[in-house]
Amino acid sequence: MQQNLRSNLLGACKVVLQGQGIGSRLRLAPFRRTARALAGLRETVVAFVARIPARVETKLLVAFLGMLALLVALGAVGLSVLGAAHQRTNDLIALQRKIAVYRQVQQDTTTQLYEVSSAMLLSDDKALATALRKLNQFDYDLERLQFVNAEDVALSSQVRRTYDQFVAVVSEVAELYRAGRIADARQIQLRQAGPLADRLERLTNQLVNRAEAEMLTSITTGRRSYTASQTAVIAFVCGSVILALVLGYVISWSLIEPVTQIAARLRRIAEGDFSQRVRVTNRDELGALAADVNRTCAELGYLYEQLEAASRHKSEFLANTSHELRTPLNAILGYTELVLDEIYGEVPAKIREVLERVQSNGRHLLGLINDVLDLSKIEAGQLSLSITEYSMKEVVETVIVATEALVAEKQLTFATTIADDLPRGEGDERRITQVLLNLVGNAIKFTESGGIAVDATLSDGSFQVAVSDTGPGIAAEDQQAVFEEFRQLDSSSTRIKGGTGLGLAISKRIVELHGGRIWVESEPGEGSTFRFTLPVHASARSVAP
Amino acid sequence: MSKRILIVEDQEDNRRILRDLLTNVGFELIEATTGEEGVRLAERNRPDLILMDVQMPVLDGHEATQRIKSQPELRSIPIIVVTSYALSGDEAKAMAAGADAYVAKPFSPRALLAAIRRFLPDPAG
Repeated sequence: MQQNLRSNLLGACKVVLQGQGIGSRLRLAPFRRTARALAGLRETVVAFVARIPARVETKLLVAFLGMLALLVALGAVGLSVLGAAHQRTNDLIALQRKIAVYRQVQQDTTTQLYEVSSAMLLSDDKALATALRKLNQFDYDLERLQFVNAEDVALSSQVRRTYDQFVAVVSEVAELYRAGRIADARQIQLRQAGPLADRLERLTNQLVNRAEAEMLTSITTGRRSYTASQTAVIAFVCGSVILALVLGYVISWSLIEPVTQIAARLRRIAEGDFSQRVRVTNRDELGALAADVNRTCAELGYLYEQLEAASRHKSEFLANTSHELRTPLNAILGYTELVLDEIYGEVPAKIREVLERVQSNGRHLLGLINDVLDLSKIEAGQLSLSITEYSMKEVVETVIVATEALVAEKQLTFATTIADDLPRGEGDERRITQVLLNLVGNAIKFTESGGIAVDATLSDGSFQVAVSDTGPGIAAEDQQAVFEEFRQLDSSSTRIKGGTGLGLAISKRIVELHGGRIWVESEPGEGSTFRFTLPVHASARSVAP
Repeated sequence: MSKRILIVEDQEDNRRILRDLLTNVGFELIEATTGEEGVRLAERNRPDLILMDVQMPVLDGHEATQRIKSQPELRSIPIIVVTSYALSGDEAKAMAAGADAYVAKPFSPRALLAAIRRFLPDPAG
């Protein structure tokens, strides 16, 4: 039951998750396509700019000038928009002034007409004369009207004409009143002055209406053109920003990309990989740099190959030579031993003594040849371990037995500590014995008084072997050098102490082939302790020469 | 009747040293200079022990050892392989080929004699 429930829940979760997966894939697909298209476009444009055969300096200058030109254009557009706005404001002010004047005219006209008609109604010639005087003064206002008005000439001249007629009619009426011809005056007043006054009022109203309509139109136009210029400025700013970004981006990438590539290539070259070339399409200084890097790389690769081949040949030559040298030497040593064993008859003491010297020198020579052979094989990468099971205890014991006589001869003490819990190991027993024999041999060789101690323990899955002596010790700065080929601290000691100076170099390689480590701890005058570690279960690995 | 040892060794000096050493202590010797000859002489003479050098042209010591050990009537003959110091891994190869023991070159005649005596304690049989 519970199981069922759980599997149902799991199923539901899966459905939800899958659903989400599909959803997000659907949502993301167009973005991915766009991103891919953009990346493609970017590469094309960047590659195009990279391929322009101009110096980096020129490209940067052109890009800078381009951006500057955009800024100047932006400024110009802004100024022209400002200018247009200013013009519109001026136009509006002019219109407003015109409307004010028209209104004044309209108002004055109404007032005058009222005064004139009141005076006429009262038939008071004095009042009429005053109104007429005011009417004549109003003439000044009409002059101003002409001054302001440029377009409504037709209308204003009509106003003017009507006004003149009106003034003439009113003057006539005034004359008639003064002459006492009241009836005539009233007649003219009714027939002519009334309609003229109406017309004058209508015309001034028309003037004001027209100006107001003009004002409205102008405001609407202004608003429209403001929106238009706003859009234009925003579009221009956006366009400039995008253009500047693209320009900067393209120029930067056409410079950054080759530099990155060249840097990556140089890193690979430093790591010893000469196989690849930088592919830079730039036709500027960076292109030239890439070509130089490629040429250098090819040249280095060629030299490296030659060096490698030479080194390989040297190692092969050494391996062959030492093998050829050993064959006759084996015969010499074999015969010598047979003679010394008196297989060919009795050997007089004097001859025996000489033959023993032949034998010891022969053995030394064999040791030298073997060391050279070992090292050259290691260098040629031909030394492979033959991994078998072995007992570290037995290795140590073998070395003790082999060196006991030498220790006794120099009257040194020999202490050995072998941990009880040492497991059986896997490794090349003969080579491990060679390492320990070399270390103990060196300890005996360089110790004149005191003793040697060999210590074998187990720690972290590795054998830890230490060979200590009470010899002269090694200064810190020489402790690395002793593991290098043909290095003994004092080259004169090679002659006195014997040995090739190869033993430690070989031991180091053997230990490293087993995956272990060898080092020395020492202070001048305090003796030396050579230590090495060996994984209990060693697997052969290759060690760079 | 003294014990017979077959020496398979291509180098004259090495053969001479072995001959001088082994006849001196009383062994009878048969000598072969190539691997093929070694196999043939082993079949024909049924020696009591075979000393097989590893490094020989054409048919090397491992191959010859294998051929001898693959014949039931010869299988009981002990073979001591003389391995070369120059080729590490020879010991394992020798044992894999069926050798009963190995002695690493350069061998001391004394050490070799000791190895032979493990199989043939008495040359006179």
